[in-house]
Amino acid sequence: MLSAARAARQPLLSVSGLRMHFPIFKGLLRRQVGTVKAVDDVGFDIARGEVLGLVGESGCGKSTTGRAILRLYDITSGRIELEGEDIAPLSGAALRAVRPRMQMIFQDPQASLNPRMTVGSIIAEPLDEHLRPSRAERRARVFELMDAVGLARGFANRYPHEFSGGQRQRIGIARALALNPAFIVCDEPIAALDVSIQAQVVNLLEDLRAAFGLTYLFISHDLSMVRHLADRVAVMYLGKIVEIAPREALYRFPLHPYTEALISAVPEAGGRRRARIVLRGDVPSPLRPPSGCAFRTRCPKVFDRCHVETPPLTDLGRGRRAACHLVGRPPA
Amino acid sequence: MRLRHILTGASAAALMASAAHAERGADGQVNVLYYQAISIMTPYLSSGTKDIDGAALVLEPFARFDPDGHLVPYIAQEIPTLENGGISEDLKSITWKIKPDILWSDGTPVTAADAIFSWKYCTDPEGGCAQAPYYDDVTDVEAIDDKTVKVTFSVPKPYPYTAFVGAQSPIIQAKQFADCLGANAPSCTEANTMPIGTGPFRVTDFKANDVVTLEANPNYRDPAKPAFATLVLKGGGDAASAARAVLETGEFDYAWNAQVEPEILAQMAAAGKGEIISAFGTLLERLHVNQTDPAPALGEERSTVKHPHPFLTDPDVTKALSLAIDREILVETGYGEAGRPTCNLVPAPEYQNSPNNDWCLKQDLDQANKLLDDAGWAMGADGVRAKDGQRLSILYQTSVNSVRQAAQALIKQWWNEIGVEVELRQIDPAVFFGGDPGSPDTLQKFYADVEMYADNFEGTDAERYLGQWVCGEIPSPETAWQGGNTSRFCDPAYDAARAEMSTTTGDEDRAKMTIRLNDMIVNSAAIIPLIHRGRVSTKSKTLGGVEMNAFDSELWNVADWYRIK
Amino acid sequence: MLAYAVRRLLFAIPTLLVISFIIFLILDLAPSDPTANLPLTIPQDVRQQIRLSLGLGEPMHVRYLKWLYQFAVNEPMHALEQLTGHHFSATPRVRVLSWQTRSPVVDLILQRLPQTLWVVGLSYVVGILIAIPIGIVSAVRQYSWFDQIGTFVSMVGYSVPTFFTGLLMIMLFSVHLGWLPSIYDTNLRVTDVASFWAQVKQMIMPVMVLALFNAAQISRYMRASMLENLTQDYVRTARAKGMREWVVVMVHVLRNSLIPVVTVIALGVPQIFGGAIITEQIFRVNGLGQLLITGIQGADIPLVQTLTFLFAALIVLFNLIADLLYGMLDPRIRYD
Repeated sequence: MLSAARAARQPLLSVSGLRMHFPIFKGLLRRQVGTVKAVDDVGFDIARGEVLGLVGESGCGKSTTGRAILRLYDITSGRIELEGEDIAPLSGAALRAVRPRMQMIFQDPQASLNPRMTVGSIIAEPLDEHLRPSRAERRARVFELMDAVGLARGFANRYPHEFSGGQRQRIGIARALALNPAFIVCDEPIAALDVSIQAQVVNLLEDLRAAFGLTYLFISHDLSMVRHLADRVAVMYLGKIVEIAPREALYRFPLHPYTEALISAVPEAGGRRRARIVLRGDVPSPLRPPSGCAFRTRCPKVFDRCHVETPPLTDLGRGRRAACHLVGRPPA
Repeated sequence: MRLRHILTGASAAALMASAAHAERGADGQVNVLYYQAISIMTPYLSSGTKDIDGAALVLEPFARFDPDGHLVPYIAQEIPTLENGGISEDLKSITWKIKPDILWSDGTPVTAADAIFSWKYCTDPEGGCAQAPYYDDVTDVEAIDDKTVKVTFSVPKPYPYTAFVGAQSPIIQAKQFADCLGANAPSCTEANTMPIGTGPFRVTDFKANDVVTLEANPNYRDPAKPAFATLVLKGGGDAASAARAVLETGEFDYAWNAQVEPEILAQMAAAGKGEIISAFGTLLERLHVNQTDPAPALGEERSTVKHPHPFLTDPDVTKALSLAIDREILVETGYGEAGRPTCNLVPAPEYQNSPNNDWCLKQDLDQANKLLDDAGWAMGADGVRAKDGQRLSILYQTSVNSVRQAAQALIKQWWNEIGVEVELRQIDPAVFFGGDPGSPDTLQKFYADVEMYADNFEGTDAERYLGQWVCGEIPSPETAWQGGNTSRFCDPAYDAARAEMSTTTGDEDRAKMTIRLNDMIVNSAAIIPLIHRGRVSTKSKTLGGVEMNAFDSELWNVADWYRIK
Repeated sequence: MLAYAVRRLLFAIPTLLVISFIIFLILDLAPSDPTANLPLTIPQDVRQQIRLSLGLGEPMHVRYLKWLYQFAVNEPMHALEQLTGHHFSATPRVRVLSWQTRSPVVDLILQRLPQTLWVVGLSYVVGILIAIPIGIVSAVRQYSWFDQIGTFVSMVGYSVPTFFTGLLMIMLFSVHLGWLPSIYDTNLRVTDVASFWAQVKQMIMPVMVLALFNAAQISRYMRASMLENLTQDYVRTARAKGMREWVVVMVHVLRNSLIPVVTVIALGVPQIFGGAIITEQIFRVNGLGQLLITGIQGADIPLVQTLTFLFAALIVLFNLIADLLYGMLDPRIRYD
């Protein structure tokens, strides 16, 4: 019981100092001309059974963060502790050994399923690779998973293109669940789906979380969906986390001007509207980020200090952290 | 002449003595390469040299020409002449006697019926025989007896050695071709590709346009020949690589027609595996000088006898143009072993090559200038001679061909040096040689002052060839631009001499006549002979007995070939 | 699928008829004369006689219908009679005869097929076997030294003409080293180890020359197709599943990348039957390519017409095969 209690206190996933930099080559000799800092010094914890929402505009590095955590990239630096084990330095066989514990659900269910494999073999492939089950065991497991995600068993011999978007995402989910992972990165799992289907899939994810005790990193640009699903929410801007807070706190009292702007665009339940903050300009190029605070080029509250000093992500108590010079202490 | 015959006989005898120990088939296989592959084994349905040569391995005529242009009996016992009574006094018939012991390769004897059949085969109007001219004026071929054939002509023939003489008109077996007369000729695939013959070899396998495999004819008349048991006649590729296969890699023993740049050929020969061999027939590269005015202003009447050429009818002008040309350089740059300078229209065989015209062999620009000065052509300020307002300006045309175009450029330069302005023109060979009366660019229409091409005649007798130069042969709108007299040369004295030749008999007298006619033409203003062109082939140093022949098939004496050990 | 194939085949018949007529028309309008290559010494009236004996005196539509009948009726009937030994009619059938060789065109083609299939066909196979691994490695290690060299070799292989590479090889291996024959012996029959070795030796150069050319082309397709698939999400999925890199590349990526490549390969098969005109000439393989070129040079209309038409038929056929293959390989495509 004691070890179980400790396990509950220990975060399932602990990320610190995560950096994912992509070199840029150009010209005849393909010389490196710069670096895109897609993820730059990101850190957070996720407790077992928790859902962390990760939001931000497209191109802010949230998907890269998800993929980096799952080690689909060779990361530039940082620690990624999964159940206490740092998986950042792993590679080859050792890395493959931890893969069953962490899985991903992709944004585009069409593209993420091999068009030449049947549903059955897509779901069974990781089983074959990691568990080497007997034929009967494999069949049973495939059917079990299909039942769990609400797919008729008869579909096992069909190809992905024969399904609707929602059904395909169910296949993707079943595939992700095949090896009983503890942790799943949901990378915009509903963005490519019809609005009518989105709720179904989100509900399925919730049900599965309850049924299997899953932990999610839920990446989305849809703040209302994140609010529905996440326990805590992290906001990213230009490769950095600018604010991280428990859900209700963040939605009610956003601290960072960027969060504030994002939240202002979401219609609130009950029809109340707050004053919409419209951000001017585009996201700066990650190749040449602005000096000082990355958000200063668009920030409505920008002042001199922002140009020269990068605000650190400061712990503000009650699980809240933000990176802005204006929020040195807890709000009144 | 007789002495020469005896000498050839003696050398042949000596040759036989050296190979006397040999027996048929003792030397294994000989590999022959024709870069134009053999399509068919009968000269009657094809007149490509390659097909005629291939057929010559199997099919034989009554008599062939040797490399000197003399007749050698093959199926016949001897060459019929007036003296031995083989030619009738009225010159209207010739009687051939077949060697008594000669057999077809299937073992049956050759009879007069085979010769009669061969004539019928080639003269059938529906057969499309390519060698029909060999049977021109033949009214009948009859058997005197089983082994004697009499050929009757409609007109007196002072030179009757056309039908059944040379590689183009061999005797085919009546039995094998019985169902192949007329319209059926093309469908007799078996007979056309594997004919039964009297030659040293017979076909065992025929792959059209690829390779012909032959073996020694078991019934060949000389039991010791051929020395080779099998002969492979491979085709395909190009001339350069064929020469290479003999000279450099040594894969083949003999390669036909080494039409390769002289320099490259010499490099290949340096490898030491083979040698270049050549023979000179009657092919002459020449300049025809238009005796009529090609000026476009004349419209329909340009290049017709109504308007003589303003200056090229003067033999001195033509002579000056000829003297300005360095033929040695033309040979060096374009022909190598395959060409030699000549001043004659009939350059071969040697016995009828005129000895009177070697003034042109050496380039002499001073003499050329003097001739033009004397004729009143004064050098103008622009370097072009003129007389009475007429400039010496020449339009010079030929067919598209790298060697010809190189020669054209050289000649233009030399002519410029003697004050002649030259404009060059090249015409697609298909058009130039095509003879289409609708085209303005044919060699017959000759809408230019000077044109260059090569021509020759089959066999050794020049009568028909010289007949192209009579007044009646001038191409004109009235003849739909047909006719061989492209220079528009017209000289009553020549026409009379040419008529005299049709009644002249005997090799020697006919040779004298040929020389006389030749000299009349080359001393006129109508022609500038340039290069006597020969056949060039390559042979391995281990292949003996090869005697290159330009008057018959190159493979004429393949029975005498042997392996040098 | 079957119904689709049958329907396509039925549609092919009128297509081929139109093609055959167009080929005939083009050959007829082109200024070609079977007597053009005869020596100048052959007089015009003899040439005319030869033309008439070849049937050129008849109007064009009669000649076309004659050819069509000979090709579409007489040739299959003849083949049938040869097979069964039973003669359906007493009169001999007029087959399509070559003007140059006066032998049946179909027999000539059959005679040429073995060396063409052996040399050109094998070079295609060798080319594919070289190209696919190169394409895979080039894509997986994009911009690596291997990829750069592969790109360079492909460009060289594709842009340097075969007559140059062929000549180069002959100069090296036949003239200087004397290892390989420069002339292909079509009479060679493989009966024992020695003759098999001789066959291998004479095939090496022409096969390699053509294989280099084919490989250059196909490896580029392979590389492009692999690169396209390597960036697909399902590849990331496969990696996320914890599949080994070998499985990811060879099972997931390769299988999907092969779909367009297989189609390209299938569409290229008629070229094999077309022979490789230049390479066949250089090494004197004397296959279908050389047959066609000698036919063209000699204005052998029946031969050129028949060969060209057969190539056209093969192209139509292999287009259908490529489509069907695509349908079989890619479950997303269905023909109804």
